[in-house]
Amino acid sequence: MVTVLNSIDTGHEDMIHDAEMDFYGLRLATCSSDNSIKIYDIKNGAHTLLEDLKGHFGPVWQISWGHPKFGNLLASCSYDRKVIIWKEQQGKWSKYYEYANHDSSVNSVQFAPPEFGLALACGSSDGCISILTYHEESNTWEAKKIQNAHAIGCNSVSWCPAVTPEPDFGNDEETTFVRRLVSGGCDNLVKIWQEDGDKWVEANKLEVHSDWVRDVSWAPSSGLNRHYIASCSQDRRVIIWTSEDIKTWNSNVMHTFDDVVWNVSWSLNGNILAVSGGDNKVSLWKQSMEGTWMCISDVLKGQSAM
Amino acid sequence: MAVRWSSEFFTALEHRELQASAMAVDSTGTFVLLAGRRYIAVRNLDDTDFENIRKFPRQSKYDVNTAEWNPTQQNSELCVISSNQHIEILKWSLGELTQTHSMRAHTRVITDLNWHKSDPNVLASCSIDTFIHIWDMRDFRKPSLSLSAIAEASQVRWNQVSPHILATAHDGDIKVWDQRKGNAPIQYITAHLSKINGLDWNPQIENQLATASQDNTVKFFDINNPRRVEFVLVSNAPVWRARFTPFGNGLVTVVVPQLRRGENSLLLWNTNSRSAPVHTFVGHKDVVLEFQWRKQKLGENDFQLVTWSRDQTLLVWRIEPFLQKLCGYDPNNCRKLDGVENEVSDTASEVSYKAVTKIKPLQQEFSLLNVQIPNLKVVKMDASQRCCVVSANANNYKVTLHVNFPNGYPNGIPPVFEIGQGSSIDEFVSKHLLQSLTYIAQQRVSKGRTCLEPCLRQFVVMLEQLVDSSDVTQLHQHQYLEPDVLGTFNDACIPFPRTSGAKFCSVSILVCFGRQLHMRRTLAKVDSSTPRALSALGNGFNNRRGNEQLTVISHYIQKQRLRIKQSNRSLKGVITVYDAAGLFSVNRQLAEKYILDGDVTRICKYNAKIAEFVGRWDLVQAWTLAGLVIKTQEVEQEDMMEHPFGNQLIQSLITHYANHSDLQTAAMLSCVFGKGQDEKARRKSLLKYFSVGTGSPYHTIPPADVVADGWVFPLLRAVRSNSLDNLRVEELPQLIPQKPPVSAFYEYYKLAYAEMLHRWGLLYNRAEILKYLCTPAEIHRGVEFLTDCQKCKEPSRTTSCPTCKRISLECIICHISVKGSANCCLVCGHGGHTKHIQQWFERYNVCATGCGCKCLIETVGMFNF
Repeated sequence: MVTVLNSIDTGHEDMIHDAEMDFYGLRLATCSSDNSIKIYDIKNGAHTLLEDLKGHFGPVWQISWGHPKFGNLLASCSYDRKVIIWKEQQGKWSKYYEYANHDSSVNSVQFAPPEFGLALACGSSDGCISILTYHEESNTWEAKKIQNAHAIGCNSVSWCPAVTPEPDFGNDEETTFVRRLVSGGCDNLVKIWQEDGDKWVEANKLEVHSDWVRDVSWAPSSGLNRHYIASCSQDRRVIIWTSEDIKTWNSNVMHTFDDVVWNVSWSLNGNILAVSGGDNKVSLWKQSMEGTWMCISDVLKGQSAM
Repeated sequence: MAVRWSSEFFTALEHRELQASAMAVDSTGTFVLLAGRRYIAVRNLDDTDFENIRKFPRQSKYDVNTAEWNPTQQNSELCVISSNQHIEILKWSLGELTQTHSMRAHTRVITDLNWHKSDPNVLASCSIDTFIHIWDMRDFRKPSLSLSAIAEASQVRWNQVSPHILATAHDGDIKVWDQRKGNAPIQYITAHLSKINGLDWNPQIENQLATASQDNTVKFFDINNPRRVEFVLVSNAPVWRARFTPFGNGLVTVVVPQLRRGENSLLLWNTNSRSAPVHTFVGHKDVVLEFQWRKQKLGENDFQLVTWSRDQTLLVWRIEPFLQKLCGYDPNNCRKLDGVENEVSDTASEVSYKAVTKIKPLQQEFSLLNVQIPNLKVVKMDASQRCCVVSANANNYKVTLHVNFPNGYPNGIPPVFEIGQGSSIDEFVSKHLLQSLTYIAQQRVSKGRTCLEPCLRQFVVMLEQLVDSSDVTQLHQHQYLEPDVLGTFNDACIPFPRTSGAKFCSVSILVCFGRQLHMRRTLAKVDSSTPRALSALGNGFNNRRGNEQLTVISHYIQKQRLRIKQSNRSLKGVITVYDAAGLFSVNRQLAEKYILDGDVTRICKYNAKIAEFVGRWDLVQAWTLAGLVIKTQEVEQEDMMEHPFGNQLIQSLITHYANHSDLQTAAMLSCVFGKGQDEKARRKSLLKYFSVGTGSPYHTIPPADVVADGWVFPLLRAVRSNSLDNLRVEELPQLIPQKPPVSAFYEYYKLAYAEMLHRWGLLYNRAEILKYLCTPAEIHRGVEFLTDCQKCKEPSRTTSCPTCKRISLECIICHISVKGSANCCLVCGHGGHTKHIQQWFERYNVCATGCGCKCLIETVGMFNF
């Protein structure tokens, strides 16, 4: 069912912390503890190193590709408290914008869905979440900060999809997109934020995890008439949160793993969840028609064996 | 009570009945305080009458453990003593000692106290109750900060330079704290295997501290590099205290002799030549408990050391200039150096106590500037003219930089940078340089901080990068930010880095990365649970590499495995990209081949064939079924909406596929279904319209327009709810009975599928799908081509002119209005559909209208002109 397309030896001098393909699945970006970010061109089993970006002075924790309609953009966040947005211009990548208004390590970045404009959310260990929005008219980045979003620190942020099966869709009136975020932090909470005028307000506080929440992910879209959020935690559990109206959320413990869980990622269709954690294993999970979650693949566990 | 004089020392006090257990010298160097269970005594050291002691009785069950005078000028009359769990603040004024505060500060015995070096109100105390409390004199109700150390603390010392840093000793370990991030130590040093008796910071080097331990050694640490001991002094007995001298590179140690016999001497060391002490102070007959430096008096060359031994003898030692020289200090230069020292301590207090600083900040910054920047030479530095000139020499570039400091600097106003004449860089580069320098400066001064050094360093780094941007090692050497910024991080709150992960990207790609297998195995052996915070790297494994660089890898590989790591270096970061398409029901091949053009029956048949070709038998059935439903309705000539079975069947088909996350099929069926509806609706209503004749009197659109319009289908779709349906207002409910909410989902399926096609790069197919959307697409923002009406020259967004209602651009070939891609002759203005015009000019070169214009030639001529 799953075939290896490519195996890339990145040559990073230290551990890799994140890897992501761009919108079209043609380029791969990786970031590592060696403070660098590498971009590869992936074509039919071959790969070529396009760029080795250096600009951070600490381990780079996470990267995020922007939507191609804004140009080729890549955001990265690091232990050095900075968020850098890189841009490709005439085949060369360079620093496009640098945001250094966090007081501690920035752990998570994600570009917003393109319908929300060019925007970026950043979660930091100083407990704050920053939302950077680009204004084309003035060619400036505006930063809004949610102060003390998570006591001790914020570990992960994820945007709500813009295109959702909401009942008011068929209406002729101009659909105004409400920007929403989900975040997870060291206070064991998952929080949902909503933009209200020029402020971001806390819409929900979801409390089930019993240890640090390491990753949250809002399902990009799904065939069902529902919102899905997956969260994973140091307590070794993955929890699936579902909601019909984004107001009330139900929790469902998907599975308790053997080791801490670091990463949850939804497929584009929103029906398969990839989970990975401290035990170096990757597993894929799918919801059956009855609503129970099943592991459909555990074959990737020896993935890096060579 | 005999008074002894010696060339080297004089006995200041010998008072057996005091039974003092703690001694402290005040910041002016005049008074010495001796505190014990029964008395507190104060002695003026300048007073030659040795009997002249002020004694204040103190009745307490407990001995005084520690005593210290406040080191700052503002509160120099304050002295703090600790006894058991209590802290007492005493005030010495006008020859009287009064107690101002007494409080129970800890729950167990207080082991050490230390005043802040620059802030007159701050005091740190530590205890075996494991807490380190930081107190503010202005509010004694509770500590302003509590540091929880888990282990009991025996010593606490504020850094002499940095106002935020303090170190505590816990048995054989040192913890370094930053009071701004108080929930965990910023550094953890496993210093000795035995108990640490004494702790002291270097007064000049911010990051250096010395530990005196029971294991007979004094070790020096750079707190940024806790793994490595900078150097060790070896003594013959457990070391009780080790303190830096206020001059040169000296250090004074005192030992605890075994069985309380033998060595009672103090040793003076030069830390640069560590094989033997440079001087021994002989004179005490019992164990030296405490020693302190007196403040040097103006005009004196000697330094004085006050020592206190268990037999209640207080000696004052003169450190003659020759001894100072042995410690690498030249007393003749003391004037100059003294100035610098003052400034050093003033910088330390700058943040917490700005009001005292009277010294000009610029002068101070200049004197503090570390000019040892590679490739950089300071040409001129003039605080009175407020300017500085440096020249950098990086490989082939030689650049002179002028920095002018406006009067407001550094409070929000950045200095002005200029590239000097004779610099060998071009204008573009120098502009770039100046920009980033100003940016850095702006960032610093906006917080009221000085910026010269970071700017200069950045300046050199940028020049070097210019020369050779690929030279990675150079870049790493100049991470000037790193020790400064990263050193103060509180890693306990930063999550432990992920070393494996999986991400779904694009449509069906799964990107995985992880550790190598041998790494996992060692991990299992070493530690079964994964830590949650980054600080685990600093503690348990303590494998920090080089300068403050974190190595996550070290967590997984033990030392003996390092060899393997190096041999497998290239395997550290392998990423595997999987094609997970097999897991999803969407199929790219189908997406490429599916069609949406033509009539519904044909579409269904064709798409069924495609599904068969790809091997999706389930979809063959679905398409055939959909085809049948629509065909039956055609045959029966009956409105689809009134057909109860077919309608519901299609709906349930779509829902079924959507529930299985097969958005591709759901979206395709939604489009086809919508199309079927439209055609049916149109046929039906037209039929009715024609059969009834005039139809509803309310309708506004004559049929001729509809037919003449080349865009009859999309128009109908877009405005389905107003124009044509008005024809039979009363029949509307039956005509379109099932609009929302189901159709909202159909729209959503189409959008989701369109995004999928976009990611696959199938832009044509995506556009096809988007044409079927009921909701208006996003309002176009960007370049727009408007047609000017040929008659009234009004720009028009649609096919007809808004003012004269005529068709704004009519194709000269087919005589239909043009919407979309069009070409016109720039000379005669005739034109039309791009395709038609292209076909025409393949054969002819004159205008199709017969106006005689040789469009091709004329247009080319125009562009040449």
